[in-house]
Amino acid sequence: MGLLTNLRDSISRVTDGLFAADEPKRIGIYGPPNAGKTTLANRIARDWTGDAVGPESHIPHETRRARRKEGVEIERNGRTVTIDIVDTPGVTTKVDYKEFLDHDMEKDDAVRRSREATEGVAEAMHWLREDVDGVIYVLDSTSDPFTQVNTMLIGIIESQDLPALILANKTDLPGSDVQQIANAFPQHETIPLSALEGDNMDEVYTKIAEYFG
Amino acid sequence: MPHQCTSCGRTFPDGSKEMLSGCPDCGGNKFQFKPANATENAGPAAEADEASDSAAGADGTPASDSGPSDGTRPTADGEVASASDEGAAARGPNNAADATPDDRADPTPDDAVAGAASTTGSDGTEQIADRSDEDMAQASARSEVVSPDELDRASRDVDSAETSEPTDEESKPGIDALRDELNDQFESIRIVSPGQYELNLMELYDRQEYIISLQEDGRYVIEMPDAWGIDDE
Repeated sequence: MGLLTNLRDSISRVTDGLFAADEPKRIGIYGPPNAGKTTLANRIARDWTGDAVGPESHIPHETRRARRKEGVEIERNGRTVTIDIVDTPGVTTKVDYKEFLDHDMEKDDAVRRSREATEGVAEAMHWLREDVDGVIYVLDSTSDPFTQVNTMLIGIIESQDLPALILANKTDLPGSDVQQIANAFPQHETIPLSALEGDNMDEVYTKIAEYFG
Repeated sequence: MPHQCTSCGRTFPDGSKEMLSGCPDCGGNKFQFKPANATENAGPAAEADEASDSAAGADGTPASDSGPSDGTRPTADGEVASASDEGAAARGPNNAADATPDDRADPTPDDAVAGAASTTGSDGTEQIADRSDEDMAQASARSEVVSPDELDRASRDVDSAETSEPTDEESKPGIDALRDELNDQFESIRIVSPGQYELNLMELYDRQEYIISLQEDGRYVIEMPDAWGIDDE
């Protein structure tokens, strides 16, 4: 009898997983390295769950494995939106250990970091193909957004018909140019923010609820 | 030629898509990459191939039966080993001794030939002992499933595999040739040199399986798609 009960439970779990409409949407935080993805993921997770997602760093490719924070409940306008956040490694077309040597890193560590970063990009691309229901695309508003990586990723996201929110991060820095990002992707709404300082997070949460709720 | 299944030794030409859903022969998902310039030992390999051909021919068993049917040329180690292993198994230990090609006119047998000869006289595991370090790793992979421990190591252990930085004069022709070759291929990650990579994002995105571990010696581990997903393709 126990066996039958177990069987019935697992079948209902599977069907629940397949058909549940209120399953939390899995939102991938994507973008080039050092755009502030983890800072944003931590900001969202701390604001709504009290936990962090992962360590932040000025050295590129600090996040080399996708990290998930499940069941983040965001309250907006009297209703609650539950999402799973996936903080992904920064996507790039080239990884060179030499760029890490400037950050006081030994060569061995730099080479290892470079290899892990490359594996991380492969993982991020795989998640994009298989496992996300929506994308928060984070860009550093002090950098030129017209890059091969950004164009390609936004193109993939559009071809998948995934809802996407473009965030122009680092508005606290002097060289920030939000308009340049808005111009680069006019087909999407661009939200300015400073994930580090927590500036304009209210609008970010409103848009998250609107796009992914 | 450059891709070799580390479980059964089957090899695949560069650009082959056969292996993308795992080795068709044994289902293995761990492959070793051998760039074109690393196949200079094709000479000895061809000799070894001949040796096993003549050995197999002695009792009328065509060695090519065990080769891939798609007409690709088998590479040295894996196919030779599997051909002679199969032959030896079919003939039994007594006949195996007869199969050693004593009348071969080669006066200076090198390692590969010695390896192939000893294969015919013994089982597969002894033959492994004659191989270089890299092939021993391959050989152990041939008999075991990759352990989670090794996967873990694969993602961290770079020191042992680290090679010295090649000088420009040495690396130029090799890398350029390799890059030209790879430009026509499906390659999604290029190892320019240890710690330097070029990624083809569209390829990474398009592949159903994904690379979960890279090693500097050209080995890599891919995660296999679920069996039910294959039909969808």
